[in-house]
Amino acid sequence: MTQEKVLLDHGSGGKVSHSMFSDLILPLFSSPELLQQDDGAVLDIAGARLAFSTDSYVVDPVFFPGGNIGDLAVNGTVNDIAMCGAVPKFISVGLILEEGFPVEDLKIILTSMAGAAQKAGVRIVTGDTKVVPRGKADKIFINTSGIGVIPPHVRVSGANAQPGDAVILSGTLADHGITVLSSREGLKFDSDIKTDSAPLNGMAQAILNSGCRVHVLRDPTRGGLGTTLNEIAAQSGVEILIDESCLPIRGPVRGTCELLGFDPLYIANEGKLVAFVPQEDAQKVLEIIQANEYGKEAAVIGRVSQKSTGKVFLKTLIGGTRLVDMLTGEQLPRIC
Amino acid sequence: MTMKYVEEYRDPGLAKGLAQKIHGISTKKLRLMEVCGTHTMSIFRHGIRSVLPSGITLLSGPGCPVCVTAQKDIDAFVEFARLKDVIVTTFGDLIRVPGSGSSLGREKAGGADVRIVYSIFDAVTIAGENRDKEVVFCGVGFETTIPTIAAGILMAKEAGLGNFSVYSANKLTPPALAALMETKGVDIDGFILPGHVSVITGTNAYRDTFEKYNIPSVITGFEPVDILKAVLLLVEQNEEGRPALVNAYSRAVSDEGNPKAKAVMNQVFEVCHAVWRGIGEIPFSGMGLKKEFQAFDAALKFGMDLPDVPEPRGCACGQILMGLKTPEQCSLYKKKCTPMTPVGPCMVSSEGSCAAFYKYA
Repeated sequence: MTQEKVLLDHGSGGKVSHSMFSDLILPLFSSPELLQQDDGAVLDIAGARLAFSTDSYVVDPVFFPGGNIGDLAVNGTVNDIAMCGAVPKFISVGLILEEGFPVEDLKIILTSMAGAAQKAGVRIVTGDTKVVPRGKADKIFINTSGIGVIPPHVRVSGANAQPGDAVILSGTLADHGITVLSSREGLKFDSDIKTDSAPLNGMAQAILNSGCRVHVLRDPTRGGLGTTLNEIAAQSGVEILIDESCLPIRGPVRGTCELLGFDPLYIANEGKLVAFVPQEDAQKVLEIIQANEYGKEAAVIGRVSQKSTGKVFLKTLIGGTRLVDMLTGEQLPRIC
Repeated sequence: MTMKYVEEYRDPGLAKGLAQKIHGISTKKLRLMEVCGTHTMSIFRHGIRSVLPSGITLLSGPGCPVCVTAQKDIDAFVEFARLKDVIVTTFGDLIRVPGSGSSLGREKAGGADVRIVYSIFDAVTIAGENRDKEVVFCGVGFETTIPTIAAGILMAKEAGLGNFSVYSANKLTPPALAALMETKGVDIDGFILPGHVSVITGTNAYRDTFEKYNIPSVITGFEPVDILKAVLLLVEQNEEGRPALVNAYSRAVSDEGNPKAKAVMNQVFEVCHAVWRGIGEIPFSGMGLKKEFQAFDAALKFGMDLPDVPEPRGCACGQILMGLKTPEQCSLYKKKCTPMTPVGPCMVSSEGSCAAFYKYA
């Protein structure tokens, strides 16, 4: 980490975040579980394998088309646990509230959380509430942590991708990030885009219980698909090739990205997963995902081409090839 | 919002057909320069270099407004951010650009009131809502952006906002092309001329430069089919020895350009000399505020006239912008200068040549 002060880029999920993690956080907290760098920690406790994960939610605005910070916070942790191959069971909720925040809004958010937990089949079992003076936090911040149980036959990790694997994406890209950006004050578009925030544990369990071999499950949230694929490529020591013509992106999302100079490959998703499975199992896994209510637009988007030092390439629409690097810092809207 | 009238310009069949034609007629080694950051991005994102013959080199010229902004102007933005009771409003691209000592992003992290806006009109609104503070807008742009900056100033004037001002580091494209052609060592066989800028200026704005230097020049749009079409036309002109100024973007660009936008721009701004990063002063290549709008000139209002400072040692942004070097030939590239620790603006702007090379090549 070369900067003296924390910048917004450190929270982008891209290279700048990674450098803070590996240069500052990891050396001080070093533990074998943290070193795995998966979506959650996998713990052996009394003969059972548990997945344990935590995430904090600071989204602005708090309410956006298709959801709010509450269901986002539940789904996010449910998904992180599900991507470890676990069945999510229990979650905790930590609330940090700004003085003056309307109780009515809080009630709406908590109601959404209860609904999201019920839908995902998890119980909220412990929590904490703090209130800080006006101006010391922005309306409401939520932390959720959760645990789940990994069935004995399941072995998924970002480090398990193998040459020949098919890469399956469960649906359209960039819906959440563009929704939040569009509804943020000062940038109002008339569009029918809404967040894709959704629990993916049902889909993940259906894949894992199908008898198909599954090497990697990951949800491409902050940093987008481009960053997630780079993480997997680096963890597994492989090269990934994706095909632009196979990437599902909604028209209004693509249009907004083009207007602002954003690449949808680096925009957050909150209800999508990528699955790496051997080629011969790809069709079956694709059908399982498509049968799920959140996976109707799933597609095979690429493959693991070979062992390598961890690079991701994109075959473009016109037949060219280019590198897909990891996001550096936050994407910034361009001048023209 | 839906984007129509685009898909046909991304048609893989059409694009592949154009690439084949280029391969079919190309015999000479050619160096073609695009002078628009959006072209640079599009070329990299669509992998256009990878489908062209190896003898054709695409160079990224001075077409990214952030990349050509002089170090002293970046320093001025940082100085504004350090002033008490000043809100600095800026397009997002500028936030990470390093000045001599700091950047707007670093000042923001240190507590300065720096706000990213998507349009100058947002900055005018901020001025209306914060009449007890001064609001400075960092004016960085080409012909595409300058008319909206002018319209913002007119709006502030009409609203009687005495607390709003603009630091104008705006620049014009055609004088830069002429300056390039006059620079020793610059070796370019054709220009891919910008689409957005030309919508405002019209084809006629390039006529003088074309007639003086007789260099193949094609205006085009930003989709892969547009860019490949421009490359094909430039290769044809070179192979046949018939340089021409061609508008291949007639769905958006006319000979005369957009008279309304030009009128607004010329109502508020007048041509002045401007310092381009790495290139130096180019006569009549900038747009400064006219006398009757001087109340809105942040440089005058705050007496902000910083000396020009040399670029950091080893930074080859200027030579890269002129096509004299590729990013890989810069001694800092991928070593001291990365998107995480940019030395020059070509590495920080998403449309910068070095950032595009780093990210996509």
